[in-house]
Amino acid sequence: MKIKRIAVVASVVAVAALALSGCSVPKTSEVIKGTSISVAWNDPLQEYNTLSATGNSAANNNISYMANSPFNYYDDKNKLVKNTEFGTYTVEKKDPLTVKYTVKEGVKWSDGVQVGAADMMMTWAALTTHLNNVEAEYDADGNITNQAALDKGVFFNAGAVKGQGLDLVSKTPTISDNNRSVTIVYDKPFVDWELSFPIGVSAHGTVQLAYPDKKYSGDAANKAFIKAVQDKDYTFLSPVAKSWSNDYKFLDMPKEKQKLLSDGPYVVTDLKDQQFVTLTARKDYTWGPSPKYQKITVRVVGDPQAQITALQNGEVKIAEGQPTADLLTQIKGLSGVKYKAATESTYEHIDLQVTNGGVFDPKTYGGDAAKAQLVREAFLKTVPRQDIVDKLIKPLQPDAVLRASLQFVPGTPGYDAVKKEGAYAQYDKVDIEGAKADLAKAGVTSPKVRFLYGKTNTRRQQEFELVRQSAALAGITVIDGGSETWGADLSSKPNAYDAALFGWQATSLAVAQNQANYTPGGLNNYYGWSDKALTAIYDKLSTETDTAKQDDLLVQADKIIGQQAWSVPIFQFPGVTAWSDTVTNVKPAFLAPQYFWNFWEWAPSKAAAK
Amino acid sequence: MLSFIIRRLGASILVLLVASFLIYNLASLAGDPLGDLRGSTAPNKAALIAARIDQLQLNVPTPLRFFIWLSGILKVFIGQFTLGDSVNGHSVISLVGSSAANTLQLVTAATLLAVIFGVAIGMSTAIRQYSGYDYTVTFLSFLFFSLPAFWVAVLLKLYVAIGFNNFLGSPVISPLSITVISLVSGFIWMSIIGGEGKPRLIVFGSATVITAATLGFLVVTDWFTTPQLGPVLIAVLGALTAVMVTSLTTGLSNRRALYAALITVLIGVALWYPLQFLFAAFPAFWLLGLLGVLSIVVGLAVGYFMGRDDRWPAARTAAISSFLVGLLVLADRLMRSWPDYVQAVGGRPIATVGANTPDLGGSIWLHMIDSYTHLLLPTMSLILISLAGYTRYARASLLEVMNQDYVRTARAKGLTERTVVMRHAFRNAMIPIITVVAFDVGGLIGGAVITETIFAWRGMGSLFTGALKDPLDLNVLMAVFLIVGSFAIVFNILADLAYTALDPRIRVS
Repeated sequence: MKIKRIAVVASVVAVAALALSGCSVPKTSEVIKGTSISVAWNDPLQEYNTLSATGNSAANNNISYMANSPFNYYDDKNKLVKNTEFGTYTVEKKDPLTVKYTVKEGVKWSDGVQVGAADMMMTWAALTTHLNNVEAEYDADGNITNQAALDKGVFFNAGAVKGQGLDLVSKTPTISDNNRSVTIVYDKPFVDWELSFPIGVSAHGTVQLAYPDKKYSGDAANKAFIKAVQDKDYTFLSPVAKSWSNDYKFLDMPKEKQKLLSDGPYVVTDLKDQQFVTLTARKDYTWGPSPKYQKITVRVVGDPQAQITALQNGEVKIAEGQPTADLLTQIKGLSGVKYKAATESTYEHIDLQVTNGGVFDPKTYGGDAAKAQLVREAFLKTVPRQDIVDKLIKPLQPDAVLRASLQFVPGTPGYDAVKKEGAYAQYDKVDIEGAKADLAKAGVTSPKVRFLYGKTNTRRQQEFELVRQSAALAGITVIDGGSETWGADLSSKPNAYDAALFGWQATSLAVAQNQANYTPGGLNNYYGWSDKALTAIYDKLSTETDTAKQDDLLVQADKIIGQQAWSVPIFQFPGVTAWSDTVTNVKPAFLAPQYFWNFWEWAPSKAAAK
Repeated sequence: MLSFIIRRLGASILVLLVASFLIYNLASLAGDPLGDLRGSTAPNKAALIAARIDQLQLNVPTPLRFFIWLSGILKVFIGQFTLGDSVNGHSVISLVGSSAANTLQLVTAATLLAVIFGVAIGMSTAIRQYSGYDYTVTFLSFLFFSLPAFWVAVLLKLYVAIGFNNFLGSPVISPLSITVISLVSGFIWMSIIGGEGKPRLIVFGSATVITAATLGFLVVTDWFTTPQLGPVLIAVLGALTAVMVTSLTTGLSNRRALYAALITVLIGVALWYPLQFLFAAFPAFWLLGLLGVLSIVVGLAVGYFMGRDDRWPAARTAAISSFLVGLLVLADRLMRSWPDYVQAVGGRPIATVGANTPDLGGSIWLHMIDSYTHLLLPTMSLILISLAGYTRYARASLLEVMNQDYVRTARAKGLTERTVVMRHAFRNAMIPIITVVAFDVGGLIGGAVITETIFAWRGMGSLFTGALKDPLDLNVLMAVFLIVGSFAIVFNILADLAYTALDPRIRVS
């Protein structure tokens, strides 16, 4: 209900008084009774289990982020912050890498069950392949042939990969501290260990969903689950895995309360037809920063224009989206609305094919790698990167700049280092003369570059046109290779293009994720890139746990890629977050969960309290 | 009749089958079901892609995959009906179910109102052909017809929602605005009622004065913040309604019908006070339904007793008036909850997005107002555009019928103009309009795409556009196609049946 206003005033005064008195007492709820806020997001909640293969989307993560407490989170400076009031994790041993996770006493799911070992065992069981004992098999018509085995077997649909990430923990984790701690041992050192062991949906809730007839109590369910994992009791785990994979998908408020258990500040109390989700502050929440609003409603508004009008009309207090030039002008003209350009996590870049027998492949020049590299350099020198930013991005985000690194996200220390080193600086300005000289040196006249991009994307069409005109000045013909199915063509038709323009989404700061892009045989290396020094760097990186050294290695990686003239970054996708001045402390962040990252700091402004 | 329906249905299902095969294959070329994963840098990208290929059976060639999809539909006979999974692993049936409900809610009111007002305006322009009113309406309908839906929507949001909400902050209309509005209203009434010379001026003058007085009254009594009708206004408006209904159905010369209608208004006003207690005691939808039925029954009874020799026309007239007076009483009750509602939504009642205010709480009156404030803008934008079309069709159709010989005969034998228009011409004029409406309903179900996007309704349209985005969600796309296609077929058959009801000369066989 939104009808009690006086209480708001009183509580704002109370909060202000608390703030003035220097409130450092952690166990006080600062929730202001009767306050609520509506915010807009473009997609609806589709699944509450964000660790499953189908549930990992931004919209799901935002809700889950407000309902659940993490061991750590990114702030608006892209810094990983440890949430020690919820739980702690410590490296017990470096070789083999042994990490102990402990959840604090009194941290409880919204049904009162202590969060603990069983929930972490659930993460291990689901995100590794060690307990999955079947995979779907198909006949020629695509029908599943081993349905019976699938029904009996254990299959957590989490997209776990053998030998990658958490899967490196092959031994069943050990439990200590009265079922509140779990110790995991990695077979090999793993660089991104800090990001790979989250707590997902509750173990006891999932077991209760899997065995509705057995009427397990929370603790009994946890006990049964831990025992089943330790004994590898596949018969018991099979329905649990099925519940974990399927039962957290719902569009309306589910009947079973287990499906929406939370271990954080809020709990989902209303959910409707993909239109909105309402979260209400938990009264018993004391672990971690206390939120101020009693209720947060996330409304689904797909159209950015509609979000802004709704903001103007007071229906939502925060709006976010990819702007158009008109929209930006409109936002600027609104009174009582603040905004901040907030780039999105996708960045545009150009990749060059080096093993397809095309213009950038040494094979074309009888195996003369130097010659092919000169041609690549010549082409990249003609790419009008700054022009693209100025003409296409600045109208949407006036302070847009060239992205200077493929390895680091802007705003991180490593990014600044790469910028200083100038890994791609030779391509910052269009250098037609340099390109001509390179081509002359290589003895290549009028090379033809087939250019792949998303044909249905207007911005990419315009980028292509800019690239084509600029390259033509140096005598390079760029052939329009625009395709509707560019995503599939990248890997399936490597012989059909020489250069590809598209965006990579980088949603976390995991260090090892770029390995797949730049090492031979890597999943995202469609281009035959192979460089011994670079591969060695990534090999070293996957065992390097010192962050400063990690940064050094990645800076070198960027430099090698620049020298090889394989790829250049262009710009970060522009975004804008606008919010009403009736809410304070909105700080748009760059990484997921974007503006939600500090939801506990949001508070009604004094003007709003009136 | 039955064999006709079966034959039509059989043929339609065949067409739908072939069309869905074509659409399935064509649509699968329109995008990439793995599109969102291609640009991913997640370490387990390969596993995610494999999982989705398994889930949607993407390794089967599209033409064959169609038959897997079709077999899911045919399983309806063994009770395992399925339309497949969406990319996110949801059952398409549940997705479509909620979306279809939302769309129906949005489209029903808009279609009904557009048809009623479109036909009414169109016919009145036909009767006043080449008058100032006719020209004005023609101009406006062409104007609206050519407006793009998204632009109308944005304008509505700006003026009807944000502007009006701002106005409610301090509801004062300047004397200049009152003057302008009154003059415009006077002109409109003068054009509709017509006549020559002095009567024309009298109509203009009185309409202007009445409008100005009304606006002044509204401002002075602070009606915009605390709106209500009360028994007096219900009586006045009810009496006007009764006169209008009678003049359209039986003509004012049928005094018994007129008195019957007026008596129902009196009953409505008399019951207004006790009803307030009933509303407070049982605030529920079943009560409203019951009262609605009751009002019709009471109307029929009053008309039946008043009618004497000619009972049926009087009963009909009284029933319609009685129901409309019931609506007035309901409107009055809703208006009394308006201040609470305005406060609950932070002083800005007219909404620009969504189907309802999340987490509103409160009584059914608040929820009814809430639905109304959310439906208002999308309904207006849908109406403005389809209304224009209906107006033109209705005008042209009635003009043609009015020039037919049998209408001249009807006039020649001394029937009143009302009887000629309402009894003889109206029915035949409706036939072409029914065709257009049938087409439109099928289209509106799937075609309110823009309106749904702009007003953030999660309906069939937004489902459809969402499915076309990256990644392509073929099963969802096909479900929308199937439903829109089925609606088109059903409404076309209904239109064929309506022809026979309207014109006895047409037989289905």
